[in-house]
Amino acid sequence: MAVAKLTRLTYRYPGAEAAALRDVCLELEEGLTVVTGPSGGGKSTLLRVFNGLVPHFYGGVISGSASVGGLDIIATHTRQLARTVGFVFQDPELQTVYNAVDREVAFGLENLALPPPEMAGRVEEALDAAGALHLLGRTVRTLSGGERQRVALASALAMRPQLVVLDEPTSQLDPQGADAVLAALMNMVMRGTHAVVSEHRLQPILHQAQGLLVLERGAVMAIDPTKWSPQSAPSPLVRRSAMGADAWSLQNVTAGFEGHVVIDRVDLSGRAGEVVALTGPNGGGKTTLLRLIAGALAPLSGTVDRRPGRIAYLPQNPAALLHRPTVRSEVTFTLHRAGDGERPEAILEELGLLPVADRYPRDLSCGERQRAALAAVLPGAPGLVLLDEPTRGMDEAARATLVKLVARLRDQGAAVVLATHDADLRSAIADRIVNVAGGRAFEPAREAALA
Amino acid sequence: MNARAVAAWSATCIFIVLSTTNPAYKAAVLVAALAALATGVGLRRMRGVLTGVALIAAFAVLLNFVSAHLGTDVLFALPDQIPALGGPYTLEALAFGATGGLTVGAAILAAAPFSLLLASHEVMDALPATLSRSGAAIAASLNLVPAVAASFVQVTEAQRLRGWRPRGPRSWSEIVVPVVLTSVEGSIQLAESMEARGFGSGRRTSVKPGGMERGDWLLAAASGAALAMFLVSQAAGWAGPWYAYPTLTLPPIDARPLVACLFLFAPVLIWRSRS
Repeated sequence: MAVAKLTRLTYRYPGAEAAALRDVCLELEEGLTVVTGPSGGGKSTLLRVFNGLVPHFYGGVISGSASVGGLDIIATHTRQLARTVGFVFQDPELQTVYNAVDREVAFGLENLALPPPEMAGRVEEALDAAGALHLLGRTVRTLSGGERQRVALASALAMRPQLVVLDEPTSQLDPQGADAVLAALMNMVMRGTHAVVSEHRLQPILHQAQGLLVLERGAVMAIDPTKWSPQSAPSPLVRRSAMGADAWSLQNVTAGFEGHVVIDRVDLSGRAGEVVALTGPNGGGKTTLLRLIAGALAPLSGTVDRRPGRIAYLPQNPAALLHRPTVRSEVTFTLHRAGDGERPEAILEELGLLPVADRYPRDLSCGERQRAALAAVLPGAPGLVLLDEPTRGMDEAARATLVKLVARLRDQGAAVVLATHDADLRSAIADRIVNVAGGRAFEPAREAALA
Repeated sequence: MNARAVAAWSATCIFIVLSTTNPAYKAAVLVAALAALATGVGLRRMRGVLTGVALIAAFAVLLNFVSAHLGTDVLFALPDQIPALGGPYTLEALAFGATGGLTVGAAILAAAPFSLLLASHEVMDALPATLSRSGAAIAASLNLVPAVAASFVQVTEAQRLRGWRPRGPRSWSEIVVPVVLTSVEGSIQLAESMEARGFGSGRRTSVKPGGMERGDWLLAAASGAALAMFLVSQAAGWAGPWYAYPTLTLPPIDARPLVACLFLFAPVLIWRSRS
C-alpha cells in the first residue's frame, strides 16, 4: 500500500518563472525511499510536499493532487500534517527550539497538546529509536552535529508519524556523525516507520531501500534501487607542473579562543602548486587551521608565514560571502577587487553556473549556492586557496568539476588547502593528507590516510 | 530551580535597591546578589558580568562626579570657562555618584540569574499557560542569538579576505547585508522546523509546567520576608534616607533593615552550582 501518492503534481515558487516540480506522478512505497539527483533538480521541494511545507509555508502555485496517510496534502495545513509526517532538515543547528534535549524532543508533543505525564515516556522512546537515549539531560548546544541530527530525528519520531522525511541529513556531518545518523535511520525503518530521504551518500542505504526516485529539472523518475549504479568518484588528474617553494607555514603554532586551546603546537607547511587536505572529526581544529593560514585568526603563540599574493577563502557557510544581486556580480566584485581582467563567464562556465548567472545567489539550491560561493572566491589567479568543506551539498558531477578546477589552480602554482570529510575528493586531488584531531596535526602516509 | 522563585528574589532585590537612597542597604543587596551568583554560577562564569557591571558603575560615578559641581568638600576645581567640565569637583558628588553606581550594579547582578543560571525554556516555563505559545517562540528566537554572533564573525572574516576594509558607513553594507540575510534565512528555517512539528496548531501543553520544589518555596518565602521587613522598616523610619549634599555624612544604619537584606542571602543556602 502506498504511503503517499502524488498525481500530476506541478509546483512553481512565488515569482519563479519555471516550475520546480513538473507533472510529478509517484507512489511512495512502505519502507525506505531514497531521493537523488543533481543539485537544483527539485529534491528539497519534493520532500517539502510530503508534509505540506510546499505549498502552505512557501506559497506559490500548485496543481494536481497529493496525499499522505490518506490526508489531502493541498487541503491540510502542515501543522495538522505534523501528526502524520515528521521532517528532519539539513542543518542541525537551525531546527532547535529549546536548548535541553528532553525539551527539544518534547516540543512537538507540546504542540499536539499531549498530557504532560505521557511525554516523558514518548521522549525516551523516540531518543532510543534514534540511537540517542544517552543524550537525555544534555544541553543541545554542547552536542556534535551528528548528535544534534539524531536529536532532530528523535523530535520527529516522538510524534509517532507514519512517514519521516529527511532532507540531506548527513550533508553537514563528519563521517562518524553521518554513519550514526544513517544507522539511526535504518533502525527506525526496521521498527516500521516509513522514510523518504534525500542523500548524496547512497552506498550505505541503497541496498535497504524499497524505492529510488531520481529528480532532474523538476521531473521524477522511479528506478529500481537494485539496478542503480551511482556515478563513479572523480578520478585523479595528471599534474602538469612541478611544485614550487614553501607558500605557507605554521611553526609551533598554538591557537584558540576564550581560554580554550583548539590548535596545540602544530608545525605544518605547504608548497606552491601543492594540494594539502585536512581531515578529521568535527571540532578537531580544521577550520581553525584554515583561519590561521588565511591570517583571519592570530595564533596565541608560534609563527604563521605565507607568501604575498591573493588569498581565496571559502568559509564553511557559503552564505557568509553572498551579498550581491546576481551570481555574475559576485564574481565581478571579486575580480574588480583583485584588479584582475579575467571575464567572469570563464569561472561561471567552468563551474556550470552560466544558466543561473543572473539569478539571486541565495535563491539557488544548496549545491548551486556552494558552487556560486566557489565562483565568488576563485576567479582570477589566487596564490593561496583555502576551501572549507567545498563539496557540501554537491552532487557527483559538481564534485568532478571542482576537482578539475582545483587541479587547474594547482597547475597555475596556487597553494591549495582543503578541509574536507569527502574521501573521494581527497583521493582525487590531495598531494598530502593531514589528520587534525584534538588540536594536533599528524600526517600519515597518503595511502594509509586514504585507506 | 524555578524561574518564578528566582523572579521573586530578583524583584525583591531590585525593589530594595531602587526604593532606598541609603547606600548601606544598597551595598547589602549588592553583596547578597554577588554571593548568590557566586554560588549558582561560579566565579569563573561571572567574570564577564562583573567586568560589565564594573564598567557601567564606573561610568555612573564618573558622570556624576564631572557633571554635579555641588557640595562643600572641594577636591579640586577646573576653570569655569571650560564648558560642561569647569567648576569644583567635590567629595559629595563622588559619593553620590558611587551610590548611583551601587544601584546600577546591584540591579544588574540581581537580574543576572535569568541569563546566567536559567535556560531560556526555564524562564518561559514560568509564564502563564496562555502565554505558552509566545514563550516557545521567544525561546526559539533566543536560540538564534549565538548563530547571529557567529555569522557576524564568519562574514567579516570572509569579506576581509575578499578585500573588504572598513571605509565609512557604506562599506559596512558588505558585512551587514549577508549577516542580516543569513539571520533571516535562519529564522525562516527555524519557523519551518517549528511548523513541521505542529507549532501553532491549537492548544499547547508543557512537559514541565513549572512546578515549585521545596528550595523554590524557601527562596520565595525568604524573598517575601525580606520585602515585608524592608517595607515595615521604611514605614517605621528605620531604613532612614541618606543624601550626600550639601555636606557628606555617614548614612544612618539600623539593624532591622539589614536583617531584611540578610534574607536575600537565601540562594547561598538553596542554590547548587550550575557552573
